[in-house]
Amino acid sequence: MEGNKLEEQDSSPPQSTPGLMKGDKREEQGLGPEPAAPQQPTAEEEALIEFHRSYRELFEFFCNNTTIHGAIRLVCSQHNRMKTAFWAVLWLCTFGMMYWQFGLLFGEYFSYPVSLNINLNSDKLVFPAVTICTLNPYRYPEIKEELEELDRITEQTLFDLYKYSSFTTLVAGSRSRRDLRGTLPHPLQRLRVPPPPHGARRARSVASSVRDNNPQVDWKDWKIGFQLCNQNKSDCFYQTYSSGVDAVREWYRFHYINILSRLPETLPSLEKDTLGNFIFACRFNQVSCNQANYSHFHHPMYGNCYTFNDKNNSNLWMSSMPGINNGLSLMLRAEQNDFIPLLSTVTGARVMVHGQDEPAFMDDGGFNLRPGVETSISMRKETLDRLGGDYGDCTKNGSDVPVENLYPSKYTQQVCIHSCFQESMIKECGCAYIFYPRPQNVEYCDYRKHSSWGYCYYKLQVDFSSDHLGCFTKCRKPCSVTSYQLSAGYSRWPSVTSQEWVFQMLSRQNNYTVNNKRNGVAKVNIFFKELNYKTNSESPSVTMVTLLSNLGSQWSLWFGSSVLSVVEMAELIFDLLVITFLMLLRRFRSRYWSPGRGGRGAQEVASTLASSPPSHFCPHPTSLSLSQPGPAPSPALTAPPPAYATLGPRPSPGGSTGAGSSACPLGGP
Amino acid sequence: MAPGEKIKAKIKKNLPVTGPQAPTIKELMRWYCLNTNTHGCRRIVVSRGRLRRLLWIGFTLTAVALILWQCALLVFSFYTVSVSIKVHFRKLDFPAVTICNINPYKYSTVRHLLADLEQETREALKSLYGFPESRKRREAESWSSISEGKQPRFSHRIPLLIFDQDEKGKARDFFTGRKRKVGGSIIHKASNVMHIESKQVVGFQLCSNDTSDCATYTFSSGINAIQEWYKLHYMNIMAQVPLEKKINMSYSAEELLVTCFFDGVSCDARNFTLFHHPMHGNCYTFNNRENETILSTSMGGSEYGLQVILYINEEEYNPFLVSSTGAKVIIHRQDEYPFVEDVGTEIETAMVTSIGMHLTESFKLSEPYSQCTEDGSDVPIRNIYNAAYSLQICLHSCFQTKMVEKCGCAQYSQPLPPAANYCNYQQHPNWMYCYYQLHRAFVQEELGCQSVCKEACSFKEWTLTTSLAQWPSVVSEKWLLPVLTWDQGRQVNKKLNKTDLAKLLIFYKDLNQRSIMESPANSIEMLLSNFGGQLGLWMSCSVVCVIEIIEVFFIDFFSIIARRQWQKAKEWWARKQAPPCPEAPRSPQGQDNPALDIDDDLPTFNSALHLPPALGTQVPGTPPPKYNTLRLERAFSNQLTDTQMLDEL
Repeated sequence: MEGNKLEEQDSSPPQSTPGLMKGDKREEQGLGPEPAAPQQPTAEEEALIEFHRSYRELFEFFCNNTTIHGAIRLVCSQHNRMKTAFWAVLWLCTFGMMYWQFGLLFGEYFSYPVSLNINLNSDKLVFPAVTICTLNPYRYPEIKEELEELDRITEQTLFDLYKYSSFTTLVAGSRSRRDLRGTLPHPLQRLRVPPPPHGARRARSVASSVRDNNPQVDWKDWKIGFQLCNQNKSDCFYQTYSSGVDAVREWYRFHYINILSRLPETLPSLEKDTLGNFIFACRFNQVSCNQANYSHFHHPMYGNCYTFNDKNNSNLWMSSMPGINNGLSLMLRAEQNDFIPLLSTVTGARVMVHGQDEPAFMDDGGFNLRPGVETSISMRKETLDRLGGDYGDCTKNGSDVPVENLYPSKYTQQVCIHSCFQESMIKECGCAYIFYPRPQNVEYCDYRKHSSWGYCYYKLQVDFSSDHLGCFTKCRKPCSVTSYQLSAGYSRWPSVTSQEWVFQMLSRQNNYTVNNKRNGVAKVNIFFKELNYKTNSESPSVTMVTLLSNLGSQWSLWFGSSVLSVVEMAELIFDLLVITFLMLLRRFRSRYWSPGRGGRGAQEVASTLASSPPSHFCPHPTSLSLSQPGPAPSPALTAPPPAYATLGPRPSPGGSTGAGSSACPLGGP
Repeated sequence: MAPGEKIKAKIKKNLPVTGPQAPTIKELMRWYCLNTNTHGCRRIVVSRGRLRRLLWIGFTLTAVALILWQCALLVFSFYTVSVSIKVHFRKLDFPAVTICNINPYKYSTVRHLLADLEQETREALKSLYGFPESRKRREAESWSSISEGKQPRFSHRIPLLIFDQDEKGKARDFFTGRKRKVGGSIIHKASNVMHIESKQVVGFQLCSNDTSDCATYTFSSGINAIQEWYKLHYMNIMAQVPLEKKINMSYSAEELLVTCFFDGVSCDARNFTLFHHPMHGNCYTFNNRENETILSTSMGGSEYGLQVILYINEEEYNPFLVSSTGAKVIIHRQDEYPFVEDVGTEIETAMVTSIGMHLTESFKLSEPYSQCTEDGSDVPIRNIYNAAYSLQICLHSCFQTKMVEKCGCAQYSQPLPPAANYCNYQQHPNWMYCYYQLHRAFVQEELGCQSVCKEACSFKEWTLTTSLAQWPSVVSEKWLLPVLTWDQGRQVNKKLNKTDLAKLLIFYKDLNQRSIMESPANSIEMLLSNFGGQLGLWMSCSVVCVIEIIEVFFIDFFSIIARRQWQKAKEWWARKQAPPCPEAPRSPQGQDNPALDIDDDLPTFNSALHLPPALGTQVPGTPPPKYNTLRLERAFSNQLTDTQMLDEL
C-alpha cells in the first residue's frame, strides 16, 4: 500500500524518492499491527527470499494467508479449545474422506479400464489380397523319381496292411516288396492298442507292440502308426492313428516333407503354360486383370498359389461399390491331372482372403471351392484396434516380441506363432520344418541328414499344443487387426443351356478338355457385400483429464483447496525447515561464541545473530514488543544491513542504513 | 476497542484508494490479488522476497495454463460417444425374404424378342472361334432362321472385334472381315499370361456421337466378352418392353414356389408379393404384404423359420445372359429395397441351403457425433427407390440421376427417375459410350456421389450362416419327386427332376437380438462438472472467480488505461495551452489527488454509467480518500486486529 501519489506520477521514477516511501511504510506499519499481509516492500529493498524470524510469525502469516479452508479454522482459531478440537475432528474426517475418494479414483485410473467403441464407417475400401491355390501339389521334375518310389512303397504298404491293391502299377512279388520296404525308415505298422485307451489320439509306448497282420481282428483293438526314435534309439514311440486313412496320409506326408527338403535352393521357374492354365478368366470391377495384379508361389500342400492384389500390385484395387459386379471374378480349372492322390484328397480350389501385408496361411483360413459350382463369397470388413501400452497386452509392430519374424510380412499372431515354432524346432531338432520359412544357415529337415527329426518334431508338437514352448504367451496380439467375414452362396455353373458354348469357348481358348464337363471348372466371385465396415476400437474410459477433474471435484468438495494450496503447504514446510535450521545454527553459534548466554530465548538468539552471513534477520516488531523490547535495538545497530533475511544479493551499502531503518521498524504501536 | 476504532478511522482516511476504481493498473492488481478467492494470487502480493514472488507468479500462471489446457481437452472430446451392446431375448420379427430366380425371363417367352440377338451371338461365336455346330444348336438355328436374311443390326451398331496385340490400332471386324482402324485408346488391355491365345483379344468399341472419340473394351476371356456384349444388347431390347409384358414373361409365384412352410404353418404364393427387378425378373418377397402385420417367429431353429422349395427350370434359362443356375435370396428389412446384385445369396439346385440368421440392430447418433443421416432428407440426392434410405440407395440414385443428366436416359437395371426413359438405341444411339464413361468416373469417384452420400443412422443387419446338404437324398427322392410333380401339375407339365428343385431354409438361430446403441459419452452437466473439477483442482476457482477476472482484467483494466490516456491527452493539451496562460493552481492539486483529477475529467466507466452527481457531491467534501475502501480493508485488517491487535493492546 505504498503511496499512490508516487505511483500516480509515473513520470517520476520510484527509486528517486526512497525517503518518501519509507516514511509511508513506517506510517503504515505503525498503523497496521500485522505487517505481513499488506506490506509489500519495493524491489530495491526486497531480498531475493526472505524468511520469517520466528515460528509464530510464520504461522501467523500462514494463517492469515492460507487458502486451505479447514486449516484456517484448525490452526488459526486459537481461542476456543472446544472449537479447535471440533475442527480438528472435522478436518480429519474430511481429510479421510478425501483421501479415500482419491484412492478410489486412482485405483480406477490405474486399473486402466477401456471402453469399447464401435464405429460404423462407410468408405471406399481397399480390396483385400486374394490367394487362390490349385489344391494340386506340383511334382517337381527334380524329385519325380523319389516321389514315384514313395508312391510304390505306399501302394505296397496298403496292400500289406489292408490287402488292397487297386493300383495298376503295383509291382507284384514279395521279394521286391521287402526290398522297397527296407528303403524307407519309419514303416507303417499295425499296433495293438494298450488296454487303457487314452483319450488322446496318440498312444505312446516305449516298448514296441506286437505286430500282427491279421485284418480279421476287431478294428477297435488296432491302431495304425509308425515308429519314431531319437538319435541313439533309446527312446521310441509310435505315432498312431485310429483311422487307416489318416495314418496313411500322415505317413505319406511325413515322407513327402523329407523328399521336398531335398529340392535345390533355387527352383527353376515353372513353365508359363502350367500356370496360365489354372485361371481361365479374371476380372475385377468389370475390367480384365493383368499380370501386374498377381504374384505366384508354390505351396507344398496346396500346389500353385496365386495372390491377387497383394502389396506388389502396381495400384491396389479399390472397391467403391458393393455387389457382385464390382468384385473379383475368376474362372478356374479344377481338373486334377497330375496330382498326388495321397497328399490331397479334395478337388477344386482353395481361396483365402487376407490383408495385403499378411502372409496367406492356407491351412488356417481358407475356403474350398467345389468344381462345377459358382461360389459367390461376400465379404464384410471388420477392424479391431486395441490400445497398447498399459491398457492391454498387445504389440504395435511386433518389434517388442521376443520372437524373430521369419516371414517377410507384417506382424500377426499367426506369423509369430509359426516363427516361434520354427525357432524351437531349430533349437531342439537342429533343422527347419519345411512348411515354415527358415532362417539363414539352417537347412530343412530330412531324415537322411537328421535321422531323428520326426521323433523330435512330434515331441515338439505335443509341447507346442500344450504351450510348454511358451509360444502362445510370447506371441502377443497385434494392436490392430483387420478381418474379413466371409459368407458364401453357391449356384450351379455353367447352366445346362449355356454350358455348351462356355465349354466350347474354354476348350478353344484355354485348352480345356471338354469331356470333363462341369467337374473341371469352377467359378468364384469375391466381392464386398456392403461398404459399411465396423471398427471396434478401444479408448481409455478414464483419461488423465477426467481423472484430474474428478480429483479436483473431490478436493473442492471436501477441502476447497487446490494444488496451489499444496504449494503453500510445501512452502510452509520449507520455511519451517529453513527457520529451524537457521535457529539451530544460531543457537549453536551463540553457544560457541558466548556460552554464558546460552539460556536465552530464541528471540534473543535470533537478534544476536544478525551478523550471520547467510541470513540477516530483522526482529519482528510485534514479537519483539511482546517478549523483550529491550535488546532489540542493539542487534539492529550492530548489524548495519539488517534487512529481511536475504539469501540473495545484499542491498547496496549506500542504502543500507535506510533500508535497515525501514525494514526493521523498531517502534511498536 | 477504542484504539481499534481509531485505527480503522485512520486507515480509512489515509489508505490509498483501491478497489475497482484503483487509479493505476498496479494498484488494481494488488487489490485484486488481495481480495480474490482464487488461490495463488494472494501469495504473489503477500509473499516476501522477490524470488518467492516470482515463483508464485510462475505457479499461478502455470495453474491458469493447466486449467485452460485441460478445459480445452475436455471441450474437444465432448462429442464422443459411448457404445452399449444389449442382448435381448424376445420374439423377433421375421425379416422380409426376397427370392429371385437367377434367370430373369422364361426363355421361351422372350425368345421372339431376342431371336436376332441370339443368332448374331451364335454367328459371332462361330466366326470368332469356329464352333462346330451341335445338333441342338442346329435346332435353335432353324428356329431362328426366320430372321435370316436380315442385316445384322446389333453387330452393326456395336461390333465385336478381335484385337491383335501385335499391331496396335488395328482391329478386325469379324463380321465383315475387313480391318478397320481403331482410334481412341484401348482402355483395358488384357494380360497375355492368362491364356494361350494371347495374341488376339476380343472386345468392342464404343464411340461418342461423332465417332471421333472411342473407347475400346477388351476382355481377356472370350466368355466374358460375349456375355458383356450380349448383355448390352439385351438391355437395349428389354428397355423397350413395357413392364406388364415383362411381368407376364417372367415366372409366376405359383411356378417358382413349390411348397412353403413358415413357423410350422403352411403358406403359399399368396403370402408373397411381387417385386420386379430389371435384371432378375420377377422376384417374390415373403412377409412384406402391405396392411398386414409383420410375421414373427416364436422359436429359434430351422423348424420355425421359412421353408421353401423352389422350382428352377434350367431349360428356360437364357444361355448367354446367365451362365449359372440357381436362385438368389435376399434378407432385408420390410421397408428396405432388396439389392439382389449386391447382397443376394445364391442357392444351388439339388441342394438344401440352410441359412441361419442372427439379428444385430445398430443405432448411431447423428450430427454432430457422426456423419449419418436419419432418413436421408438432408442428403441432396433424390431417392428414386420406393424404399427407406440407405447408403446403397443413395449411391445408385446418384448414379442414375447423373446418368439422366449426362446421357439423357436412365440405365436399365435401376429404377426410373421421374420424367426419364430407359436408354435404347432408337432414341439415344450413343448411350453406351456415355454409360461406360460415366461408370468409370463413378468408380473412380469423380462424380462425387461417394462424398455426398451418407450412411444411415440406424439399420438392422442379419448375419447369415449358410450350410449346404445334398437334397433330396437318393432314397427320399423316389417318393418326393412324384409328389411334388403332382403338386405342380397345374403349372408344369413335366416330371420334375432333382436338379430342378432347390430347398431353402431360413430361420433364426436363436431369438437373441443384439442392439448396438450409441449414446453421448459426455453430457453438458458432465462437462460443467469437469470444468468445475479442473478449476477447483488447480486454483480453487469458480465461476464467480471467472466473472471477477473478467471484471477486473477487462473492464477495470481498460477503464484505467482509458483514464490515463485521457489524462495524458489533457496534460498535453494543457501544456500546449500553458505558455500563454499557465494555470498553476489546479495541476498540483490533481497530482496530489488523482481521484479528484479523474472524476473531473474523465468519463470513466462508473462515472459515465451512473454516478456523476453522487461523486460530484463527495469530491469537494473529502478530497483525498475518494473511494470508500473500508470493506476491502476489512478483509485483512479485521483479521489482524482480531488476532493480534487485541493481544497487544
